[in-house]
Amino acid sequence: MIANEETFRHLMIKAQGGDRLCYSSLLIECEKWLRRYYARKINPAAIDDLVQETLISVHRKRASYDPDRAFLPWLAAIGRYRWIDSLRKIYRHEHDQLYEEMVADPQDEDVTAKVSLERLLGMIPQKQADVISLVKIEGLSIVEASAKTGQSESLVKVNIHRGLKKMSALIESE
Amino acid sequence: MSGSANSLIEGLVEELEPVRTLKPKSGLAIVGIITLIAVITVAATLGVRNDLMIGMADEMFFLRSGMLLMLGIATAMTVVNMARPGVGKLSRGWIWALFTAALFPLTAAIMSAINMPPVEALRPMEGLKCLTVSGIAALAIGGGLTLWLRQGAPTSPERAGWLVGIASGALGAAAYNIHCPFNDIYYVGLWFTIPVIVSAIIGRLVVPHLIRW
Repeated sequence: MIANEETFRHLMIKAQGGDRLCYSSLLIECEKWLRRYYARKINPAAIDDLVQETLISVHRKRASYDPDRAFLPWLAAIGRYRWIDSLRKIYRHEHDQLYEEMVADPQDEDVTAKVSLERLLGMIPQKQADVISLVKIEGLSIVEASAKTGQSESLVKVNIHRGLKKMSALIESE
Repeated sequence: MSGSANSLIEGLVEELEPVRTLKPKSGLAIVGIITLIAVITVAATLGVRNDLMIGMADEMFFLRSGMLLMLGIATAMTVVNMARPGVGKLSRGWIWALFTAALFPLTAAIMSAINMPPVEALRPMEGLKCLTVSGIAALAIGGGLTLWLRQGAPTSPERAGWLVGIASGALGAAAYNIHCPFNDIYYVGLWFTIPVIVSAIIGRLVVPHLIRW
């Protein structure tokens, strides 16, 4: 079972004050939450690294959490930033720079709906979402994704490029 | 939980120190103090424009000051809110401030198209001085704001860079504004716009590299 919002918030406030026991509990709960958050959003083999990178960001940026606000929108914003950043790093091996823009709406209590990555995929053309899911999330090669979708290899690359750009723009406008 | 995650958590817990939460007000205070120092420095070294000294400043001075301050404050507020991800609604006020500020160069461009201004109206030498002084002030303001922002967690470093540049450029120009004696729209449209644009480009190019995650 994963802790609820109030528990996360309480643990984080204690952690900001230097309570190591609470901090340990908080990071363990964050690890569980992030693992579930990233499931089916990135190649399963990459989840461990991504969760750990996100935990390091949580640690480094813990002063940026406002104790008067909900904790999960903060965690989700960092998680989503790390997710896009990891996609960008993979993407940069093959292509030019991808710009990411992301802002979470703190007033929305329904964090998982608001920051849902599937929702972003649902907001771009189906052909682009399909190849991003296959290549960037499931870890298929361009050739495999081409065979599976019927799109040519160059079209797969173009659709990944365009889809990621659109997703970045959508994040900005959310 | 994997063994590596477990050892990472143990390491992070070991490093834990109490932290003071980041307050947007402190970021704004830094911007305000550096801007004030820039204004005082301009006044002390270059002097205050004469009409302002005698309390009869031209209306263009007030319009220009208001525009620059509004743009600078709106963008700086957005930047300091960006330091806390998921906290503080996405502020779009700076976009409207930018549109409003664009009225000055737009008006100058339209007027120039209708009635080509003489080169004297553009005052290249004075304009370069305006650009230099505004740029130095912008560098100080942008530097302070960037140092503060490094403590935060902006999830859009590129946008943060643009906004730091616009804010510092506008406030740097506002500092020089109290000295600048020129009121015609050609001069204002050109020489009070260039520092903001240059500063914004520098902010976009430099600031994202200084933000550490």
